[in-house]
This record gives sequence, structure tokens and C-alpha cells, in this order.
Amino acid sequence: MPHLEVSDVRARYGSLEVLSGVSFTVDRGEVVALVGPSGSGKSTVLRLLVGLLPPSGGTVRVAGEPVDYRRAAMVRAVRDRMAIVFQQYNLFQNMDVLKNVTLAPVRIKGRDRREVEDLARRLLDRVGLGDKLHAYPDELSGGQQQRVAIARALAMQPEILLLDEVTSALDPELVNEVLEVIRDLAREGMTMILVSHEMAFVREIADRVVMMDKGSVVEEGPPAEILDNPRTARARDFFGKILRH
Amino acid sequence: MNYTFQFGVVWRDFPYLLDGALLTFQIGLLAFWGGALIGLVLAAFKTFGPRPVRWLVDAYVVFLTNTPALIQIYFLYYGLAEFRIRWSGEFCLLLGLTLNAGAYLTMIMRAGFLSVRRTEMEAGEVMGMSRLQQVRYVVAPHIAKTIYPALANFFIVILVMGTSVGAIIGVNELTGQAITRASFNYRWLEYFTVVAGMYVVLTFIASIGLALFGRWAFRVKARVF
Repeated sequence: MPHLEVSDVRARYGSLEVLSGVSFTVDRGEVVALVGPSGSGKSTVLRLLVGLLPPSGGTVRVAGEPVDYRRAAMVRAVRDRMAIVFQQYNLFQNMDVLKNVTLAPVRIKGRDRREVEDLARRLLDRVGLGDKLHAYPDELSGGQQQRVAIARALAMQPEILLLDEVTSALDPELVNEVLEVIRDLAREGMTMILVSHEMAFVREIADRVVMMDKGSVVEEGPPAEILDNPRTARARDFFGKILRH
Repeated sequence: MNYTFQFGVVWRDFPYLLDGALLTFQIGLLAFWGGALIGLVLAAFKTFGPRPVRWLVDAYVVFLTNTPALIQIYFLYYGLAEFRIRWSGEFCLLLGLTLNAGAYLTMIMRAGFLSVRRTEMEAGEVMGMSRLQQVRYVVAPHIAKTIYPALANFFIVILVMGTSVGAIIGVNELTGQAITRASFNYRWLEYFTVVAGMYVVLTFIASIGLALFGRWAFRVKARVF
């Protein structure tokens, strides 16, 4: 049984249908990459999964259980299992790094402060920011902020980590330090859904690639297959434009 | 010019001037807090309220920021007296300054309300925060930090410029006290020299206090002067 099952999910912004029947699955420990042109609905899928945008149709199942996004308790339960990292980091500007990471587990989840702080220190060490515990977001580079955001998401101890174009806002020389962290997580078996334009990275890290266009899935498969031998004309066209080789 | 400065009388009157400075500080502080409360409520109305309420807030702000505080206080002191409402000069000064400050602070607070970053609230939301928790942990501290410098500046404006209007309706705050004392011996120049210095000291103390508080509470890197 897949850990996450998205079937025929639809969503709309007002009268505009942004997702028109999206289906894919994610197994435990799997890294699935969502790729596709801008506006194809990749980020929308992630926002929908964490309950920032209500679906207008279809089903999302987590560990076999259908999720009713109209029920607040269910949305809370889903947010317990999934954490999202945004393109723009969205750190709390008025708190230092340690507080950013520990706030929700301590204040919202009611976990023991000392335990959470230990965890936070370990996570921040791991993303290479063990010496920045008391720095504020505006004192950090984009890459450092994004690594804090990843540590913050991990401190929620999610079963699935959603990464929404986490390197798109970064200067080129800062991209690698963030990718390195994600690579590490994949190696440890973290279940992840990754929206990315870094095709070389997707090829290296993803177990499966799901290509979307205009709010639906065009094609999916292992990276080697889908990136190098796409079956559909749309995918051939897309990868032909972005892969320079 | 053969004017001989004689500060002796001023020093003898210094306790009076200190009393005046204290009253200045008290009225300034009270008017500021009252105004901040009005500002907070009206800014919330202006941001979230229905259209007629927003218009009323606009009318209040436009009317009170575009007329001199002196005129507003005259209305309370002399105008209302025609209707047999006779309040003391101190009360009229305090009320007038509070209403006036309320209008300016509405504008300042409104800027704070508009500066809230939706994305940070979203980050809080997906980590399981309720709307109220988002306000408490994300929105409120951010607003406070954003508007703090403007608030601190405005406090100084009220403290120095606002309160001194009281002299005209006979309130013995610092300026009023100086006028009262000087009218006994006509040493205007000496009194006002000393009083000017006292205003600077008062402002200096307030500025340092505000800067330290801002740095401690909101990480605002404010310069004192």
C-alpha cells in the first residue's frame, strides 16, 4: 500500500481550475519529483496536501486513510504527518534560528522543551548551522535560511517532507549547500515529494518523476526513463527545452 | 546688546520647573497610551471593518490630523464651556492630545497591519498553529517591531510639541510653569533658556529609554539621536 495516494484530485482558484484530476502515489522511503513548466500546478499539489488550498474533488489517502480537508481535525492530523519547506523559506523574522525550529513543537505540539531543543541542535548541526543558533533570519544568507527552514520542518518529525522549489530563490553558488542536505535526507530514507527545476538533481535523487502540465499529470516513471526517453510529445518538448545536452 | 543674564531667580524657581517637567511627562505618557489604544482599535476597524465604519475612521483621521492640536484643545476648553461643560485645563489638554494622537497613531498602526507577511502566517498554519496562535507568535511581534520606530518618534512629538500647547489654556506643564514664573520677574530669556535645556534632557531620557526598550523587546536598532 502506498503511503500517500493522490487520486483524481482537483482544485480551483475561483473559476480557474488549477488542478484537473491529478493522480500519483508515494511509497514509504521514496523520493518523488514533481516537474513541469511554470503554472502546471506542481506547487499547488503541495499546498493542497498540507491543507492550504481545499480540493474541489478527488481523494487523498495517507496510509490508506482518506483525508477530509473540510474537517479541521483531519487537516491538523495531516499537518502532523507532512511538513513543507517553501521556496521563500518563510522563516519567522522576529525569532532567532533556534526559536524558529523549536516554536511549533514546543508551543503547538506541547513537547518537552529540553528534548525539542536537543533535537533542534542536532538538526541544525546536521544542516551545518550548529554555530548559528542565535542568529536572526535577516543575518543569514538565503542558503542558510533555507537550511534552517528544512531543520524547522524536520523538527516537526514528519513522515513526508514536501519541498517546494527550495532552491529557486537562491543565488547559484548557494544551491549546492541546500541540495547537499536533501541528498543526505534521501540517503537516510526520508519520504519526500520534491518540486524542482534542477533536473540534474532530480535525475540523481528521485526514485520516480511525475511530469505535470496544465494541472494534470502528463507522464510518470523512473528518472532515466522519463528524462531521457519521454513517451509523450509534451514531455519530449519540455525536457528537450530544459535539458541542454 | 547689553543684556545681563541673571540665572539666579531661575535656579530658585527650579523646583517649580521640575514640577512642570513632571506634569509634561505624565500628560505626554497618558496621551500617548490613550492614543495608542484608539489607534489600535481604529486601525483594526479600518483594516477589517465594513465600508461605513472605514469611512468613519477616515473622517476621524482626516479631521484630526488636518486641524491644529491647539484648535482642538480650544474647542474642548472654550467651546464646550458654552454648553456648560467646564473641564479643567489639564483634562482638556490630556483629552485633546489623546484624540489627536489617536488619529496619527491610527495611521501608524494601519501601516503595521498592512505589513503582515501572509507567507509567514502560512508557515505557522502548516505547522499546526491556529489563527490566534499565528497572531500571537507571528503577526503581533512583527507589527510591533515594524511600527516601533514610528511610535517612538511620535511619543517625542507629543511629549515636546503636544504638551506645551497647555501653556495657552493655563496648564502649568513645563512651558506653562515657565511663563507663570517669569511673569513675576520678567526674566523670560533665562527661563526659556533653562526650559529649552530641560526639554532636551527630557527628550534625551525618553529617547534612551525607548531605544533600549526597542532593542530589548523587538531588536530594533534605533539610534538615540
